[in-house]
Amino acid sequence: MEKKSARILVFSTEKISDPAIDMAGLLKLHYPPTVYTIAVPCSSGIKPRWIMHAYEQGFDGVFIAADGSDCTYGESCTEKTGRLVEVTHQMMKGRNIDPARLRMAAICSVCSESFVKQIKSFNQYLLQSTKS
Amino acid sequence: MNKRLGVYICHCGGNISDYVDVEKVKESIEGEEGVFLAKTTMFACSDATQKEMVEDIRNNNLDGLVVASCSPKLHLLTFRAVSERALLNKYNYVHANIREQGSWAHSDDKAGATAKAIQLVRSAVAKVRLARSLDPIIIPSKKAVAVIGAGVAGMRAAIELSDMGCPVTLIEREHFVGGRTSQWDILFTTNQTGKELVTKLYNDIAGRDNITLITGAEVISNTGSIGDFVLKIRVTPRYIMDKCDENNLAKAIEVCPVVVPDNFNFTITSRKAIYHNFPSEYPHYPVIDIENCTRCGECEKVCKSVDFSQQEQIVEVNVGSVMMATGFDPYTPGEGEFGYKLSDFAVTLPQFKRITDLNEGRLVYKGKEIRNIAYIYCVGSRQSEGDNNYCSRYCCTSAIHASLEAKRKFSNISNFHFTRGVRTYGKQELLYAESLRMGDIYFQAYEENPPSVDVNNGEISVSINDIMTGGREITVEPDLLVLVTGMVPRSDNSVASIFKLPKGRDRFFNEIHMKLRPVETVIDGITICGACQGPKNITESVNSALSAAAKSFSFVNKGQLALEPIIAEVDKETCNWCGKCQEACPFDAVKMVKEGEKEVAVINNSVCKGCGMCLPVCPVNAIDLIAFSDNEIENMIDALSSNI
Amino acid sequence: MADNIKTSSYDALVIGAGIAGGEAALNLANNGYSVLLVEKDLSVGGKMILLSKVFPTLDCAACITTPKVSEISRHPGITIYTGSEVRRVVKKSENNFEAEVVKHPRYVIEDDCTACQLCEQACPVVVKDQYQYNLVGRKAAFIPFSIASPRVAAIDIENCTLCGACEKVCPTKCIDFTMEPEEFLVSVGTVIVATGFRLFDPLNMPRYGYGEYKNVLTSMEMERQLAPTRPFNTILRPGDGKMPDKLAYVLCTGSRDATVGNPICSQICCMYSIKQAQLLMGALPMADVTIYYINIRSFGKGFEEFYEQAKGMGVNFIKGKIGKITEKENGNLVLRYEDINENRLREAEHDMVILSVGVLPNPDAASIFQGEELKLDHLNFIGQARPLANPSETSIKGVFVAGTASGPMDIPDSILSAGSASSEAMSYLIRKG
Repeated sequence: MEKKSARILVFSTEKISDPAIDMAGLLKLHYPPTVYTIAVPCSSGIKPRWIMHAYEQGFDGVFIAADGSDCTYGESCTEKTGRLVEVTHQMMKGRNIDPARLRMAAICSVCSESFVKQIKSFNQYLLQSTKS
Repeated sequence: MNKRLGVYICHCGGNISDYVDVEKVKESIEGEEGVFLAKTTMFACSDATQKEMVEDIRNNNLDGLVVASCSPKLHLLTFRAVSERALLNKYNYVHANIREQGSWAHSDDKAGATAKAIQLVRSAVAKVRLARSLDPIIIPSKKAVAVIGAGVAGMRAAIELSDMGCPVTLIEREHFVGGRTSQWDILFTTNQTGKELVTKLYNDIAGRDNITLITGAEVISNTGSIGDFVLKIRVTPRYIMDKCDENNLAKAIEVCPVVVPDNFNFTITSRKAIYHNFPSEYPHYPVIDIENCTRCGECEKVCKSVDFSQQEQIVEVNVGSVMMATGFDPYTPGEGEFGYKLSDFAVTLPQFKRITDLNEGRLVYKGKEIRNIAYIYCVGSRQSEGDNNYCSRYCCTSAIHASLEAKRKFSNISNFHFTRGVRTYGKQELLYAESLRMGDIYFQAYEENPPSVDVNNGEISVSINDIMTGGREITVEPDLLVLVTGMVPRSDNSVASIFKLPKGRDRFFNEIHMKLRPVETVIDGITICGACQGPKNITESVNSALSAAAKSFSFVNKGQLALEPIIAEVDKETCNWCGKCQEACPFDAVKMVKEGEKEVAVINNSVCKGCGMCLPVCPVNAIDLIAFSDNEIENMIDALSSNI
Repeated sequence: MADNIKTSSYDALVIGAGIAGGEAALNLANNGYSVLLVEKDLSVGGKMILLSKVFPTLDCAACITTPKVSEISRHPGITIYTGSEVRRVVKKSENNFEAEVVKHPRYVIEDDCTACQLCEQACPVVVKDQYQYNLVGRKAAFIPFSIASPRVAAIDIENCTLCGACEKVCPTKCIDFTMEPEEFLVSVGTVIVATGFRLFDPLNMPRYGYGEYKNVLTSMEMERQLAPTRPFNTILRPGDGKMPDKLAYVLCTGSRDATVGNPICSQICCMYSIKQAQLLMGALPMADVTIYYINIRSFGKGFEEFYEQAKGMGVNFIKGKIGKITEKENGNLVLRYEDINENRLREAEHDMVILSVGVLPNPDAASIFQGEELKLDHLNFIGQARPLANPSETSIKGVFVAGTASGPMDIPDSILSAGSASSEAMSYLIRKG
């Protein structure tokens, strides 16, 4: 059976990007219902093993809705989140998983439209890449 | 492991149930491991349902609670409180967001929304099974507050805290108190002078035992956090003894041969190396500006109170909360910006206010009698290019007020205002109306086409394409050009980096949330007020100062504080100290300790903010964040990927 | 009668449970003081709880108000009387005020009501819904609005026909037509006045045709159309239910206008109009939105940036004061205005006009103070005795003012003003006079 939408796990942040994802709902900006969110305090605290676990459990993609420069825990967040993505990419390559199945974008607390746009394009990518 | 769980699925009056089949969600969750009861409810947050939950928890000895409803931002605390009322530790509550991230986001796909809701609830159930009871971290809190900056906001806050019975250390970098307010003459709306207002506040402070005022003082380090800040303060001496003879001091000022620009008057005048700002300046006795003093010794000859043996001191202060009231700097125009520095007669608004204050009878500046005055607004504010996109809020009213005061104080003054649209908001509109009545002339331009200034042989001319008269070009040749400069953050904000205070897009200090937590910062225990947070007038500064006083007081008044126990945890067995977690921690919460022979990381519970930055950097995976452990997250992921 | 008067005492009485009064009550209660919060409306939350989103962050107003409102309503230190009135306050001595409070009957037992809405469905009476600014109707047995607190039904006894239909369907039998007004004599140590503001009524400006032309709305009516708890779930012209595509905002309606008795600037209209324009651009992507203004006053933190953002999104800003509005047969409206840029009179046609109405004082609170006078300023706002160093002090020592009761203010300023008032109230209580 052909999938209508990809399974995507989103890591959002409690104070910054999760409010934006909430607001996407409030504005009825639709995105696929196979997109699930786990909110954590800060995107720089996501462990690569969690992401790898998601692929093992059959998720097509993982999206990190990062705090970016708005992070309440300090400016180093962007850099640290970038680094954990890098580390995870290496692990993915090691297990022959397409690194493009992990995406990251800074989502500010009001960036609902940007979130939905990103997720839709990610979904498109994942659908195409799993088909081929 | 929690085994008797209660799960409530909310209709939200249709907000959820119009798109999500809540009965189906309930049915599919009933069989989940550990679920003792599952119910749907019209409004989970209603008092009636809350009461029902409390009864259910008590009657059935439930050990975990899940409510699937709106965003946790709305009602996480509500349902935590429900479990507390039922004597269930509140960390055994987990929230599932099936409205904002369920029914609303997927109102175009009911089957999809229902399936997602089921998985979100399963994932919450997976999490609550692993949840554990936690106690808030109780730390002692020193009943004392440090207020940094003794301008009108800081002084006013100090008095308020003192009134509440809280000891205050008021720390001022300058040798005199009063900040910017002491530099202004007649104030809008009370017709008091700035000096009078500062004098009143100073006298009030001086009469209180529980306020310690330290001037010439700069915070140089902080080694503490909420409840227990330890500040080191460098205090520069005045080089003048406490009880001095005023007449001799006046002589000392007279004989001092050093002449430097007087910053109190925004450099339009000069002062000596031994100086005070104005005759009744507080504290009452002068100071020697040691940077510029040549140690010629003339002052010592005429005044016994001069004491060059005084030494710089380091003072330590221990407080439970810190309040930042460090104020602003006026914007300094660049050379050539609207004629600044090209003519002696192009001055800033603060300089103009000092000029009018220092003159009596006739308005004379640099030997020239001033009659026609032009004002160019929004200098250094509302710039689409450059840093200062923001409006400085106070300047329209301040400029109009200063121009009216000049008209009242001196005869034959004509005022010409070159604006970008006057922003005398609220009751300040009446001042603008008065200015129009008094015959002041207003022109306006848009940003794309600002007024231009020419300086020829010292003569200034200001031209504008005035949109109020259909773009007609108008030129005024004023005797004095006042650049209505806005507010910028203090150029020396080193005190902020000591506390790692975040700044906003405008580079002023940033509050957590303008409406929910307007005087708190993300650094627990540090409040902000006044113009260091963004442009404000005196009333607005004082309102924020008193709000911050109440907030700081609430951190210290009970003598102890309860902190959220969501913090990092180190598994000492696994940890072989490498220091990476310490490097990653933005709060300095990780320390190395020796456990016998072994070096391991420990987390300072009262400093850790629970961001988790230390988690991914650990090479041996020895750190977990409470409530976000590997086990919890991975079980949630399993639940989300399960088939329905 | 005297036997029925209940007496009680609190540290503080807060009059008005809008965002300022609520904030002041919370500050006091969080510092351990007992507070009686009296609200004349059936719900706490004031005007803010009815708004769509708030500038300059575009947070949903409900999402900011409801957690505060629920914190207020759950706080053990705060007692709330909704649908109640403070009739009289007398200062006996320092730290000793006596207040007479009347709780009007709701005809519903609050504790028993489950907000099931069955009474609402059963009630045959339909009247205009004031909480939706009369855009739609409601019943005489009704829950004020979906996020009201308390979320409890009430009977609008003025319009009720006493048919009894609601009583019959109520599953908890909580409707009680025999309720009488309850009187309370309360002694308190300090009083905070947070009675808010009134909106300018554009019926006083006939040249804009409000009330006569169906497609001329007030900004508060538009606010309801944009809110998450909105009546139509989309933006509609009241005249014919058509979706508008050329909307106009008329700024300074009832502000900066001595001819209607309000010479001052209302401080919020520029910003809320810019906010609504942004939301409209989102809700009606094809629509044109034009804002007619005298001066744009985006002066607060992040406001100028918000104004620039609106310009970037394509909101039109035209500098010009609207002289007169006329209605065409198809319900469209012709605005006659002086175009400042072109320096001539022009006309423009729009299919919906929103009047950005201003802030007026609510002087009612002054009359309840007996003995010592609570002074108003010359604009009829609560007077500030020492506006610079003690902005919340009034003419009566121990009585403080919070929020827009003392003059126009936006939400952040109201909250800071409430913080200031509660702070001064606390130190007044601690100082004992």
